[in-house]
Amino acid sequence: MLDLRTVRKHFGRLAAVAGVSLRVEAGEIVGLIGPNGSGKSTLLSTIAGAYCPDDGEILLDGQPIGGLAPDQIFARGLARSYQDPSLFFRMSALDNALLPARNQRGERARQALWRGRWWGQERANTAEAAAILHDLKLEARAQAPAADLSGGQMKLLEIGRTLMGEPRLLLLDEPTAGVAPGLAYTIFEEIERMRRLHRLTFLIVEHRLEILFDFVDRLYVMHLGQVIADGKPAEIEKNALVREVYFGE
Amino acid sequence: MTLTQLVDSLVTTAQVGSLYALMAVGLTLTMAVVKLPNFAHAELITFGAYTALVVSLFVTTNPLFAIGLAFPASALLAWAIHRLVYRPLVRQKSTTYVLILSSFAVGLIVRYTLFLLADRYDLFDKRIQIPLQVLVAIGPLRLTNIFVWVTLSSIILVILLTLLLNFTSLGRQMRALADNDTLARVLGVPVDRVTDLTWVLVGGMAGVAGALWGLYTFVDPLVGWLILLPVFAAAVLGGMRSFAGTILGAYIVAFGENTVMLLLNQTFGLDFSFKPAIPFVIIILVLLIRPQGFGGIGRSATEGGNA
Amino acid sequence: MILDPIGTLISLLTSFGVAAMIALSLNLEYGLGGIPNFGKALFVSIGAYTAGVTYTRLLPLLAGQAAPYPCGAGMSQALQVRTEIMRTLPAVGLTNFLMTLVIAAFIGGIVGYLASYPALRLKDEWFLGLVLLASSEVVRIVVRGAEPVICAHNGLSGLSQPFVFLPTAQLRAAAFAGMTLLAAALCYWFAQRVARSPYGRMLKAMRENSDVASGLGKPMARTRASVMVIGSAMAAVAGVFFVTNIGFASANDYVVGLTLDIWVMIVLGGLGNMRGALLGAAIITLLDRATAIAAIQANMLGSQFDFNYARYILFALILLVMLRYRRQGLLPEQLDTTGAGKFLTKLRRQDVASQKATVNRHA
Repeated sequence: MLDLRTVRKHFGRLAAVAGVSLRVEAGEIVGLIGPNGSGKSTLLSTIAGAYCPDDGEILLDGQPIGGLAPDQIFARGLARSYQDPSLFFRMSALDNALLPARNQRGERARQALWRGRWWGQERANTAEAAAILHDLKLEARAQAPAADLSGGQMKLLEIGRTLMGEPRLLLLDEPTAGVAPGLAYTIFEEIERMRRLHRLTFLIVEHRLEILFDFVDRLYVMHLGQVIADGKPAEIEKNALVREVYFGE
Repeated sequence: MTLTQLVDSLVTTAQVGSLYALMAVGLTLTMAVVKLPNFAHAELITFGAYTALVVSLFVTTNPLFAIGLAFPASALLAWAIHRLVYRPLVRQKSTTYVLILSSFAVGLIVRYTLFLLADRYDLFDKRIQIPLQVLVAIGPLRLTNIFVWVTLSSIILVILLTLLLNFTSLGRQMRALADNDTLARVLGVPVDRVTDLTWVLVGGMAGVAGALWGLYTFVDPLVGWLILLPVFAAAVLGGMRSFAGTILGAYIVAFGENTVMLLLNQTFGLDFSFKPAIPFVIIILVLLIRPQGFGGIGRSATEGGNA
Repeated sequence: MILDPIGTLISLLTSFGVAAMIALSLNLEYGLGGIPNFGKALFVSIGAYTAGVTYTRLLPLLAGQAAPYPCGAGMSQALQVRTEIMRTLPAVGLTNFLMTLVIAAFIGGIVGYLASYPALRLKDEWFLGLVLLASSEVVRIVVRGAEPVICAHNGLSGLSQPFVFLPTAQLRAAAFAGMTLLAAALCYWFAQRVARSPYGRMLKAMRENSDVASGLGKPMARTRASVMVIGSAMAAVAGVFFVTNIGFASANDYVVGLTLDIWVMIVLGGLGNMRGALLGAAIITLLDRATAIAAIQANMLGSQFDFNYARYILFALILLVMLRYRRQGLLPEQLDTTGAGKFLTKLRRQDVASQKATVNRHA
């Protein structure tokens, strides 16, 4: 589904991503791990279009997406979440969930003037968003400002709202960062549930390896902007090189 | 164009450029250390000019006194504004826009208070009186004592500030704050004290600059506001971070306003009423084409490296 | 003491209508969209300059007369021509006025579109504010220096409002006030509809975090451009009313101070709330008039205190107090953007009701 071929991203003389190749197949949950500063977040941002890759190819379903704008990439079915909570804080949780819905007629300024042209669609979207919020146990908070949610709720909403845009592939940057340990496991259970329910594919950057290893099908390990190992969790745990750079052994 | 005109415009460039430099380094310092585009910087300048004027009218005509007192006066004003307005807003986690708006508001309050006072005591369009002497007259070159005062004091102050930033612990702490305030906090920089002192320095320098400006032209509640945008243009040329870039920028803006303007007038007949547009055009072009100004030269390696 | 209460009220309503249009446009741009338009005066001035051109070129043309060059030696003759047409040919005057509105909206829209582009290149968000402020001043200085638009620094008089053909002064003023308020009401309707739609939600998202919104499939460049087009066209229309209300176009009216007045209105009334923009415009218009009257009275009484200066201090204090103690303004933004929240509540109530019905049936 996602195919990266020797992707590079430099900042000045710093090679944040130095020729990364990786593949994610449809329906997989793939983990991306590595020490701080190994280029994981930059790689996610480059795939999602926040940065333009300096070199290499990024293919989504065989189509090149490198250099497209983030909103165009989203339109092709790729959504992402961020390491820092990135909700629209002064908007309601419901509005946060409604925003990513596709092809909203009322998003065109001219159509927006005539309520009759978009209200039906808005109601349908609201019902759908309500179902998502319900599944995430956020229904009671639907009309609260997103800023008032707890850290865990924010993370859930951030992942959940992307479903409104009907993505097929989700890139998650530390979905459990800043979340209490008990809740972290719940978040991954939600991810697993979403995969089954919506047939999603995931590429997840995560520091909580003990949880990540329970859920992923495969892992890539990055170090200094390069992939140094990949394989199933059990193989990665035994990989000597990974243990050296990652666990300092 | 006669040679005298050209030389005159170059002399003005040197004088105005030095003053702009003195004003702009303060502005750059606020933007770098306090992260605030302070539009009330204008009124720190005006306040210094008025302090000097009042001293010269009612106390002593010794220019050293008048200029010297402008420093503490504007420094105190800057510090008070920081404590009363900016610090509470920053602690409320305000956006840059909120801070910009509040600096506009502070500027208006000071400016129109000065208007009210100037109205009451008849202090409009006054000069700070010192007798004019021609010190140098070689061919077309004429340098007055005011030129020497203004240019030398500005240059000396800018050099002193540069030395302070580079060779004292306060300067190191200020630079640490400018680079990364979170890190500076973690490393134990006394942020409150350094910020206070930054404002004192910035205010004081703006005050002296205002006093010198009053020596060179005249004093009016609008002086600061009218020179603020050329000063912003200088800071923009410096990338709003680099000291050397800002100083260079100040002379470029002055050169544009005087010598280039003269050339445009002589060759294309461009009216002098377009002169105030020059700094604005500089701001627009630099921000659109090269927003890092002169500041990014030779530092591209560190840019964006925090990703 | 006010000598002519009805006249004062009518002129206050006109000023309010003009201010309301500009405040609504800035509230769309900044209150919802987060675009720091510190060059609002530029877009208002576009309306004034458009009127300057149409009143001197288009108006005589519509009346079937030759258009004398409006500045320099022919100044008084040209003034006489346009005054005469406005007084004696109401249909021509009104047509010219309406065409001025359309042309101003069009030019304003184009300039707004262009002004949205720097944002793509600018490194820091507030640079856009500085660029807009600088552009506003550049245009002002150029117009003040170049003759053809409004006769450079002399300004252009005789840009009368379209109802000067009516017999009494009060009737004229009332008709124009009515027209201004009608335009303001249309702008309000427009702004409110836009604000309470999915488009308004997208504007809010752009304000909160435009990178994230873009990552969620929303085209930010297009959104920024469209809101700048709407806001600038609205401001330019307001500018036509502004200048014909005064009757005189001068580049010195469109300074940073005008922009700041509008900012005070929306910060006071409520950022992102269109009713707030109206409230802010009303309060600031009233205060502006009150200080102006106080200044005249004080002057007549021989007081040293000048309320024209105090006005700025008052407005600045209002701005500071609001920013410090009530950031959301007098009327805070509506959390439920489109009414989807209300619909959700209704949906739930129905759910609960139908569940109860099911339970009852089974019982």
